[in-house]
Amino acid sequence: MCDIIWCKKDFEGKPCDTVNYLDPYCFWNWEGTVNCAECGTVYYIHMIQGKMYRGPEERPGEKPDTSPLYADKPLDGYRFYGAGIEGRTRPFECLPRHIYLGVPDMVKFSIRGKPVRGWRPQPPDASNAGGSYGFNWDVERLSPDVWEEYQKKIKNGEVTEW
Amino acid sequence: MHRLKYNKDPRETLIEDQQGPKSKEEFEEMKAPYEEYCKAQFDPGNEFSKPHSLKGVRWLSTTMYIFTPHSVSNLAELGADVIKVEMPRMGDPMRHCAPFNETYLYPLHDTRPMTGTGMGYLNANPNEYHISMDYHLDEMKEPFYALVRMSDGLTQCYRPGTFDRWRQSYRYLQEINPRFTSVWGGGFGYGPKVFGGSYDILGQAHAGLASITGMHEFMGGHATKHSNWCIDWYSGTQITFGILAALHWRRKSGLGTKIEFSQVQAATRCLGYAAPLYGRFGIVRQRWGNWDTQLCAHGIILCGKSDFPDAQNPQDRLEARYAMISAFQDEDWKELCAITGMNDLHDKYKSRNERTEGEAQIEIYAALEKWAEDKSRSEVCKICQDAGLLAEPVMNDREYYEDEHWRMRGTVRWQDDPIFGDIMAHGSYAAGLMSKTPRRLYWIWRPVGADNVKIYHELLGYSANKIEEWYNKTFI
Repeated sequence: MCDIIWCKKDFEGKPCDTVNYLDPYCFWNWEGTVNCAECGTVYYIHMIQGKMYRGPEERPGEKPDTSPLYADKPLDGYRFYGAGIEGRTRPFECLPRHIYLGVPDMVKFSIRGKPVRGWRPQPPDASNAGGSYGFNWDVERLSPDVWEEYQKKIKNGEVTEW
Repeated sequence: MHRLKYNKDPRETLIEDQQGPKSKEEFEEMKAPYEEYCKAQFDPGNEFSKPHSLKGVRWLSTTMYIFTPHSVSNLAELGADVIKVEMPRMGDPMRHCAPFNETYLYPLHDTRPMTGTGMGYLNANPNEYHISMDYHLDEMKEPFYALVRMSDGLTQCYRPGTFDRWRQSYRYLQEINPRFTSVWGGGFGYGPKVFGGSYDILGQAHAGLASITGMHEFMGGHATKHSNWCIDWYSGTQITFGILAALHWRRKSGLGTKIEFSQVQAATRCLGYAAPLYGRFGIVRQRWGNWDTQLCAHGIILCGKSDFPDAQNPQDRLEARYAMISAFQDEDWKELCAITGMNDLHDKYKSRNERTEGEAQIEIYAALEKWAEDKSRSEVCKICQDAGLLAEPVMNDREYYEDEHWRMRGTVRWQDDPIFGDIMAHGSYAAGLMSKTPRRLYWIWRPVGADNVKIYHELLGYSANKIEEWYNKTFI
């Protein structure tokens, strides 16, 4: 289930009549502005636990923080905007996030504190040819920031064997 | 060379002819405490220094999800060279539909730097070389057939007729390589539902397995699927047996064969006596949840208090309340009744046959749960164990991970994956550790097409330019 913004703004001489879907994955606990995928009207919304706490309120002149994931026009022959249309909808990226608070939670270390290749984006592999990968992930060379963080962890005694 | 010394009576065995110590002195010398002996036999952590049982076998895997991939991953863990062929840029759909995208491991592919592989892919494709190939294209038939020519077999999971349409079914491949074994792991297998696809849960439902799993409806239960994809793992492993039998058959006949396997049919094997019971007595088996219907008391009960009442994780705080209690022999039953104060039940249900009646079990387990109402799981287990009865807590994943027993056996262990870094491994080491040719884990999986150069160039001899051309045309 997800909430929607049904935009009724006048657009090109008739009501916009676009349903903008506020996917719970992004908007579950969220405050900010979002654009209509069709007419570009910017709305302010505040959602708490998937419920619309405030809004949608029009905010003319403001820049939208984000876009809906998907939008359609049910009264207009089922035209729709799929995910990832620039300026209209947001690309679907499955960004891992902290428990619904909108903070990306990139796993860089296992629970025992050693590096895990589980964050993004990754630099392209240097040995790439025809899509091939080398056999070793050289943490120090390919991910120097993780390597640095890892050295600090070792120093602080945060790396264990179990 | 050791030679048998035959004496007059062949029924008499000489100590020299037996395995192990050859004299009393040698026996004294070789004596070790049981724990030491077990440790030496299991030898966890030294798997890599031992021989592979399937070295020299090469298998192709055009499979998806868990069921058919697992049939081949068993071979890869035992030392076979396995080449997993995935669709270019996309890969096995299991990479994308795994639980919890928070745990994605990257990268999937250089053309999709923002997409990872889900943890559900784990254990289904270890130690395999991952190449990409759109094998239904005419242009890719040549490298596909070249792989068939130098491999022992292939496992596939497509709907029947698909591989035939693409000219790569058994009848085509045996022309190219008569020693080739072709495996089809289908949902329903040949029969009226031959075109029906299957998933683990569908197999569990259609085979009747879900109907006998879970609590009875009067206890608030419903037909239940087993957790994880146990029928996928189970039927995949049964295919592996089929493959090993086919390899054995080839040693005798010199010919490959075709294996047809139905996932749904495999699930029926887990039904135990359910279908024969119906056939003989017309009785449809009921669900009895956590109780063993043949023995009583022999089941899992719910205790009143949690072992971890202050834990943040609800699995610890609320769920750490189940204990398995076993006291089905008459003496044990008497002891259980004595420590729980259920002496009236002891007098009522003295024999095993009386206790295993449905009505009796309902009364007994209700009384046990009433007794455990003000106790925690560990208190219940301790009381029973102190009285000499079998009792163990139902552990969750965290407890399983921390349990000393599994660590000592080498079942659960940390490992450094060459591409993905620090990983917790338990699948590969869950079986066969005492073998002289144990399973082992080299890597959990590889990105899509990660071994294109290794296989197309180093194995098949295609030039780097050709590989680059295929890559740019998305043939690979």
